[in-house]
Amino acid sequence: MTCVELQQSLAEIEDGSGAEQRAHLETCPTCLALLAELNLIASSARDLSEANEPSPRVWNSIEIVLRTEGLIRPPRADRPHPASFAARWGFARWMVPAAAALLILVGIYVRQHSLASPENMATIPAQQPLQDAAAAGLNDDELLQEVADKTPATQAQYQDHLRRANEYIQDAKQDVQADPNDEEARRSLMEAYQQKAMLFDMAMDRSLP
Amino acid sequence: MSSRTIKVVTIIALVAGTLVAESRKEYRFNVGPKAGISVTNPYGSISVKPSTSNTVVIRAVLNSGKVEVDNTQIGNRVMIQSHLLAGADATSGRVDYDILVPADASVTLHSSTGPMVAEKLHGDVTMEGAAATVNVRDLSDAHVHVKTLNGPVTLNNVQDGHVEIDSLSGEVILIGVNGPLVQVVSTSGHISYTGDFGNSGDYRLTSHSGDIDATIPESTSADVVARSVKGEVHDDIPLQPMAHTWFPIKEGRAFAGTMGHAAMSSTVVLRTFSGKIHLKKRQEK
Repeated sequence: MTCVELQQSLAEIEDGSGAEQRAHLETCPTCLALLAELNLIASSARDLSEANEPSPRVWNSIEIVLRTEGLIRPPRADRPHPASFAARWGFARWMVPAAAALLILVGIYVRQHSLASPENMATIPAQQPLQDAAAAGLNDDELLQEVADKTPATQAQYQDHLRRANEYIQDAKQDVQADPNDEEARRSLMEAYQQKAMLFDMAMDRSLP
Repeated sequence: MSSRTIKVVTIIALVAGTLVAESRKEYRFNVGPKAGISVTNPYGSISVKPSTSNTVVIRAVLNSGKVEVDNTQIGNRVMIQSHLLAGADATSGRVDYDILVPADASVTLHSSTGPMVAEKLHGDVTMEGAAATVNVRDLSDAHVHVKTLNGPVTLNNVQDGHVEIDSLSGEVILIGVNGPLVQVVSTSGHISYTGDFGNSGDYRLTSHSGDIDATIPESTSADVVARSVKGEVHDDIPLQPMAHTWFPIKEGRAFAGTMGHAAMSSTVVLRTFSGKIHLKKRQEK
């Protein structure tokens, strides 16, 4: 078997375990090294497929480093053009998938608790909705910081809206706890979360200068 | 030169300066049926009315040279964006739009300050704005989606609509609004409905701490469920009690009943946590 024949045969027996392949590999360090590299790539690819998507914060950190290094530049201030979502909101753009994730979490939460017994419901702490929100990445402080940076005049307004939205979630949650079979209560809980998600969405909305 | 003359000259100069800075633009686009028109305007008003042809006409008044109007047409879609230049603020970046669109066009409007008005259309209308006043009137067969933070929302005479309104604290007023779905969700805003709940529609008005008022004629056909978890409910109209409800009826906190013809009944849910609910009878003229 020649080197070319071995490389072609790897398409069928990719780990080089065939009898002819083994015989060639024993005498050809070049093909042996090639096989080792292919195995490494295949192994890394499997690991990659199992890994979670990197957090948006990772991308943000990379962006910051690239800016510091001077490898990328912020948009020119003297000629602002219709800003892309990422350019306008930079750090805050992770909030969109976070808001979507929140709604998914809430959906799962509502479904699970619609099936749960009242006894189990009573053991769920009242802070759960806000923890759900935090788990989904909807961090109130970070949103307010973003609003303060972009439009300081509206920060107090957003703070007030956040407080009210959180109160809505707390009350809706307690209502579900009181009667897990109340379809309307569960729907209200979903709506409460949607109001909060809308607040985050609106903060990033392009209508906001 | 007298002081009076100086004042007059100064005022004239200021007015002239404003007029010079202000500019008007007009854009026209030919579109086909069911065109899509999208307008994004950080500061200023947007008014949309039906045109008599298949032409979209955009008339913009720009408050200063610190804002431009970007316009794009891609196929049957027209996109307009107020483009703020460096140093633009709420005054200098303001653009006021008067827009004519074919009545069947779908319209998407964004403005943080508003006001936004859409009237006499029968395509879908989507309006979003944090503090924008939203006014929608004389629509039919339309999907109407509105989102505001504290901007008040008024819908007047929307027939056969699919209406979804979300506002955190803005007052929501619905007058003569009916259709298969009419839904309002608010955190703290007051919700007011005046109408007859149509036929066989799904009406759902919910607020966390805002009050909910519904004023309806006695001839209304609807299954009504009203509940305030911590507040009060008042009912001026006699209802036939429902045989079954999914929650216990506490006197003063909830009521559930049917009125009118069951075959044509709409389903109406009025729900708040700490606000008041009032179902009122409309005084017939």
